[in-house]
Amino acid sequence: MHCKTDLARDPFPIYQTTYKMKKNPLRVIVAIVIIALASGIYVWKYLYNKPHPDYLTIPADVSVDANTLFNAFVADQALAESTYNGKVVEITGVPSGIEQSDSLQFVVFVFRQGDFGDEGIRCALHPRAVKHDFHLTPDKPVTLKGYLTGFNGSDVIFEKCSFVE
Amino acid sequence: MKIRIIALIVMSMAIQSLMAQKYVTKTGRIRFYSDTPMEKIEGVNQQVNSAFDLATGQMVFKVLMKSFGFEKALMQEHFNENYAESDKFPNAIFKGTVAGLQSIDFLKDGKHNVEVGGDLTIHGVTQKVKTTATLESRGGKIIGHAVFNVNPKDYGINIPTAVVKQIAETIEVTVDATYDKMN
Repeated sequence: MHCKTDLARDPFPIYQTTYKMKKNPLRVIVAIVIIALASGIYVWKYLYNKPHPDYLTIPADVSVDANTLFNAFVADQALAESTYNGKVVEITGVPSGIEQSDSLQFVVFVFRQGDFGDEGIRCALHPRAVKHDFHLTPDKPVTLKGYLTGFNGSDVIFEKCSFVE
Repeated sequence: MKIRIIALIVMSMAIQSLMAQKYVTKTGRIRFYSDTPMEKIEGVNQQVNSAFDLATGQMVFKVLMKSFGFEKALMQEHFNENYAESDKFPNAIFKGTVAGLQSIDFLKDGKHNVEVGGDLTIHGVTQKVKTTATLESRGGKIIGHAVFNVNPKDYGINIPTAVVKQIAETIEVTVDATYDKMN
């Protein structure tokens, strides 16, 4: 019944729509341009220029003792790589020292001697986490988190590290 | 006369000890640069391991692919996931030798041109590479610098047709390493 009434009012709804579109093609062009522009802005801002993760605020994927982490890579590199590589890892341990190289600052944990001298864990501090007046307290453990990039045969390497208070 | 002999022995021992020493760095810097009219892409790794033996001229570099940092997060993602396949091939390694070290006196500060050649493994593929480099002796450290080109295709890295105009066929690689004497 309802259908009958609609047909009586508009017997050729599709043709009428097509007719309306032809009547104002500018609207269609403007709509396409707006959609294309919005898509372009979205791709530019959120895909092409999407920001790097903020490693200072991002929560750690996993927490582990520094010595345990190093031993995991030494014992079974493939397993440790699949567990930790590319993750934000929080480690706790007693650092052996802090090194400065150009603009970078590294917190270093030494666990053994090898072909490259001291071997262990090296954490490159995030530029906003660098502390120029930082002094290590002997035997006092610290907790750091950062992006673990892998094991190069002598050291487990972290980038963008920061101290966890 | 005795003093001269002792001085000569001490000096030769010092030279021998220096020559026998291995030099290492854990903060070597490798930068690669792709330049096309559409896009410039730069990746920098500042935690490169390298060892250099003055006596034999042997040189080793170990580079973690995931330690390369890029200006844009998307570039870094594409580099690790699509091109370098860093989960599958986490390291790049160079093992080679520096030629002509015998004629260089590393006890004196100075800059020297040398030839470096060896095997470079990237993406699980090993190729022979050869380049000129400079080695500078300064304050007990040895500072190495080299620039050479690599072609991603040679290392089995295929660039999809959609982005072929954004990535250069030849990538410029710059290596900087400040070596300390290993204790």
